[in-house]
Amino acid sequence: MEQNEIILSMSNVNKSFPGVKALTDATIEVRKGTVHGLVGENGAGKSTLMKILSGVHTKDSGTIVFDGETIEHTTPIQSIRRGLSIIYQEFNLVNTLTVGENIFLGRYREMKGLHNSHKKARELLDSIGSTINTHTLVSDLSASEKQMVEISKALSFSSKLIIMDEPSSSLTADELKCLFRIINDLREKGVTVIYISHKLDEIFELCDIVTVIRDGCIVDTKDVWKIDEAGNKTENLTRNEMIAMMIGREIENEWPERPRCAGDTLMDVQNIRTRKLSDISFKLNKGEILGFVGLVGAGRTEIVRAIYGADKAKDLKILINGKQSKIKKPRDGKRAGIGLLPEDRKLEGLVLSFSVRDNITMSSLEEITKFGFVNSSLEKGIAERQIEALSIKTPSPNTKTKTLSGGNQQKCIMGRWLEINPDILILDEPTRGIDVGTKYEIYVLIKKIAENGGSVILISSELPEVLAMSNRVLTICEGKITGEFNPEETSAHEIMDAAIG
Amino acid sequence: MTKEATPVKGYLNKAGNFVLEYLVLIAILLLVIITAIIEPRFLTVENFTNIMRQFGPLSFTALGMTFIIVGGFIDLSLPGIISLVSMITLSLYDTIGEVPAMMVGIALGTTLGILNGTILVASGATTQAKALFITFGMSEIYKAVSQLYTGGSPQDRNFFESPMPVTNALSSGSVGGIFPIAFFVFLFFLTILFIFQKKTLTGRSINYTGGNFVAAELGGIPTKRIMIIIYAICGFMTAIGAIVLFSRTPVASPLMGADYARDSIMAVVVGGTSLLGGRGSVLRTVLGVSLIILLFNCIVLISTNQFLPEVIRGAVLVLAIWLDHRRHAKG
Repeated sequence: MEQNEIILSMSNVNKSFPGVKALTDATIEVRKGTVHGLVGENGAGKSTLMKILSGVHTKDSGTIVFDGETIEHTTPIQSIRRGLSIIYQEFNLVNTLTVGENIFLGRYREMKGLHNSHKKARELLDSIGSTINTHTLVSDLSASEKQMVEISKALSFSSKLIIMDEPSSSLTADELKCLFRIINDLREKGVTVIYISHKLDEIFELCDIVTVIRDGCIVDTKDVWKIDEAGNKTENLTRNEMIAMMIGREIENEWPERPRCAGDTLMDVQNIRTRKLSDISFKLNKGEILGFVGLVGAGRTEIVRAIYGADKAKDLKILINGKQSKIKKPRDGKRAGIGLLPEDRKLEGLVLSFSVRDNITMSSLEEITKFGFVNSSLEKGIAERQIEALSIKTPSPNTKTKTLSGGNQQKCIMGRWLEINPDILILDEPTRGIDVGTKYEIYVLIKKIAENGGSVILISSELPEVLAMSNRVLTICEGKITGEFNPEETSAHEIMDAAIG
Repeated sequence: MTKEATPVKGYLNKAGNFVLEYLVLIAILLLVIITAIIEPRFLTVENFTNIMRQFGPLSFTALGMTFIIVGGFIDLSLPGIISLVSMITLSLYDTIGEVPAMMVGIALGTTLGILNGTILVASGATTQAKALFITFGMSEIYKAVSQLYTGGSPQDRNFFESPMPVTNALSSGSVGGIFPIAFFVFLFFLTILFIFQKKTLTGRSINYTGGNFVAAELGGIPTKRIMIIIYAICGFMTAIGAIVLFSRTPVASPLMGADYARDSIMAVVVGGTSLLGGRGSVLRTVLGVSLIILLFNCIVLISTNQFLPEVIRGAVLVLAIWLDHRRHAKG
């Protein structure tokens, strides 16, 4: 296969948004038939780059050549017709239509009717080894199946280049393997794939070439593997080198050393029973980091929501320091000394259109209210203190949180809770979609909370993270606690076994 | 496309945002200038007094509606509340006297608001769409009750025996013949509500609730209590609006509040408070009310067509909502 033909080249592409330079002189060449990794922290400019390619944004300057054709202005539909498809993280499918209808949406006439559309859809799905019925509604599909549909849709336009934006974020390990197999097949067929991801393991497993982007600038493009004269493949760059390029400095460890300050029982949870959970009982110690391990949908989030009072649970008894707490709504949970950093920071955590200050002080305004009036100078102080303590990167406390990167948004919610200093802080996926550098800062924060006598419940889909940070781990499967482990003595494999059930 | 194009585009964008943000003020200024040129009568003291006098019922109900919309909800029950409050208050004039009757009316309006909020909370309606239908239904109920109460007949105040100095002052009293008393009552409530909105914990909590209901609830804000409070404020202000309204007409009918839900929402949105919730202020609503009053004052001065105001009213509402989306939906 010809490996040196350039399918896409971007040179000196610039893009500014009001007040932000999103891309500076970005230059990339993508060779035909390769899987080209694109890595960078959140807000580094990956999505801007892709959106310029697809025509969602217009570049300010620079040239883009795709498949020998110079592209000045383009729209998403023109790009797709040219053979350049993008599969977004949150998918672009109509839930109320069937698989076949989605693949050929708006092109039934070209396909000579719905019947033929379904027939053609079947062929496309078969070609990537998927067995989804084309008459199934998209709303009934799992995330991985939706991805298959998106890939088939891209193939239906006979795409030469498919861009996948964080395709692994909602997949299980098995589904991920399946995706890798499909991507490898595509490469065999000469289709080029740009693979955007945070997860470095995936880059090493899948990609031929990787481009690192930071602060809107391309740092470097390198072959992932080098092949010596004898034909042996060796890594051309190490994991740590890649991380260093992404964040612009070296980090020694991915996790800080776990704190060891677990003391006596602080909270005793008895009998959570909801439609999804059965007989959940456990204890949380003072100064302990307790990890919850389980698949997405196993009931981890439901457990902590019930404890915090966000969901109703029958017969639930919570003893904090031996005293029974009546928690019926989140406000009661907060009063009982519990804080919750919710799973979805944009939908459940932040008021995106409000300022950093408003978001930080949300839960502590009560403390600085006298006769119903909020003391605004104290409020300013709180915001400034937390911005400094957590080193939140924001132009000013008045900046709207929606303009911040994911990591800084998460820090705003952390700051909100640290300000009222709860005894128990529940962190539901605190590092999801957050770049490596900020992740480390969040781990250090978690450690500090435990060292200062607070207890933490840590939920994460990233197993290494839970195992490295927790003092104790509970495995949860289908709404039940299936095991309790000490992550220092038990292997990750054994724990995962219990979590899968 | 050159690199030099970028800053210019940035300025244009900034200018565009500024225009969008202060569109009402610009519109008010333009309206004053244009009308003054076409019709010199516009700039007379009499017309000025007339305009201030028109800061009547709508300014009160729109102030109340501001809190509902900032809180992320909507209230279509205003016609019903106005109807029931007017009928019951007027029917008590002769038996318990003017001021006590007004107190009963205000208490009743507040209670109806609390009832609205409580029903929304109890039915688990935490979205604007659900509030729309429920409050619309409540309005129909309130109207029906007021019809039942009066047997469907209007209340004619000419038959009342008790003296009505406060009512008369509200309808036609003025300070120095220029500043209507009702206008001062309006300024009084405006000041209180302004401070309430900006400085108090409850006022701030309303913003959070409207900005993101789920996040506010998980952050420990008593969102359900806030829902009841905003409907109570709206009921309270609507009751005052109702009193100002019936003080001006010799005959009060159960259907006289019909336009007030629509007009209040229009005033709030025209002022620049977002229908998406979370953002807005009572001062913006004052601008919205001013624009609407000026607009109609100007139409009446210029044209005699009785249907023209209706057409313009509809067009302004649509335009305001369109601009609201342009302003806030673009990331």
